[in-house]
Amino acid sequence: MNIIELSLIENARRGDSHALNELFSQHQKYIFNLMLQLTGDVAQADDLTQETFLIAFRKIHSFRSQASFRTWVSRIAINLSRLEFRRKPKHYSLCREKITVPSHQDNPERVVIKSELQWCILHNLQQHLPNKYREVLVLRDLHQLSYKEISEILGWNMSKTKTYLLRARQMFRQQFINNKCKAFADDYLCICEGILEL
Amino acid sequence: MNCKEARALFSEFYDRELNQEICEAVKEHLTECQECKEEYKNFRKSLKILRKLKVLEAPRNYMEITQRH
Repeated sequence: MNIIELSLIENARRGDSHALNELFSQHQKYIFNLMLQLTGDVAQADDLTQETFLIAFRKIHSFRSQASFRTWVSRIAINLSRLEFRRKPKHYSLCREKITVPSHQDNPERVVIKSELQWCILHNLQQHLPNKYREVLVLRDLHQLSYKEISEILGWNMSKTKTYLLRARQMFRQQFINNKCKAFADDYLCICEGILEL
Repeated sequence: MNCKEARALFSEFYDRELNQEICEAVKEHLTECQECKEEYKNFRKSLKILRKLKVLEAPRNYMEITQRH
C-alpha cells in the first residue's frame, strides 16, 4: 500500500469525508464491474456496489491497513455477491437485451455481434462456472490482480489460487466451445483480429 | 517434462509466474510437442476472448449513499 492510500485511510477513519470520497471514487468503477461480472446483472451489480460501500463506510473505523483498501472492499463485495448467488435459481437465462455494449461507432451488425459475444461471456461465467472458479477467473483475467492479492481476497493459500485459476481457465474455454459461443467469437474476431480457432 | 506436467503449468506459464528453469522446460516441451502447442494456443485464445468483456462506468457516485446514513 502506498503512502497516499495510507494517509487517505487514516483521514477517512477520523471522519474526513473528502478522504473517504477519494477512496470510494478510486474503487467504485472496479467494484461495480467486479459485481457485474460476478452476477451478470447491471441492477444487481449497482445494488451490491451500493451495499459494499455502505458497509465500508460503516466499518472504515475498524479497518487496520493490513491489506490494501482494494483487497478489503473486494472481500466485502465478494461476500455479498455469494449471499446473492445463494438466493438465485440454479440456472436462469440472462436477458440479451440487458447486455450493455458501450460502443456507439460500430455499424448495427457489429453491435449485434459484440452484444452476442458479451452475452456469451457473461452467460458462461454466471451459469457454467462454480462460484470459486468464477471469482478467481474474474479477479485475474478481468482485473489483472496478482496471485498474492487474489489469495488475500479469497482467503486461499497461493497453491490453491494457482490450482483453481488453472481449472477455471480450462472450464471457461470448454464451456465456451460446448455452448457454441465460439461462433460469435469467430464472427467478432474475423473482422478485426483474424480468425479465431478454439 | 511430459504433456501432463506441461499442461498443469499453462496458467502460470501464461502469467509469467514460473522461474526461468521451469519456464524454459515448458517452452522446450511446446517446441517438441505439437498437441500441447496447439492446446496452449487455444488456452491463450480463450482468455483473449474473455478479456473482450467490456468495462462499464459506475452508474453513480456511491459516496452519495453515505450522505443518507
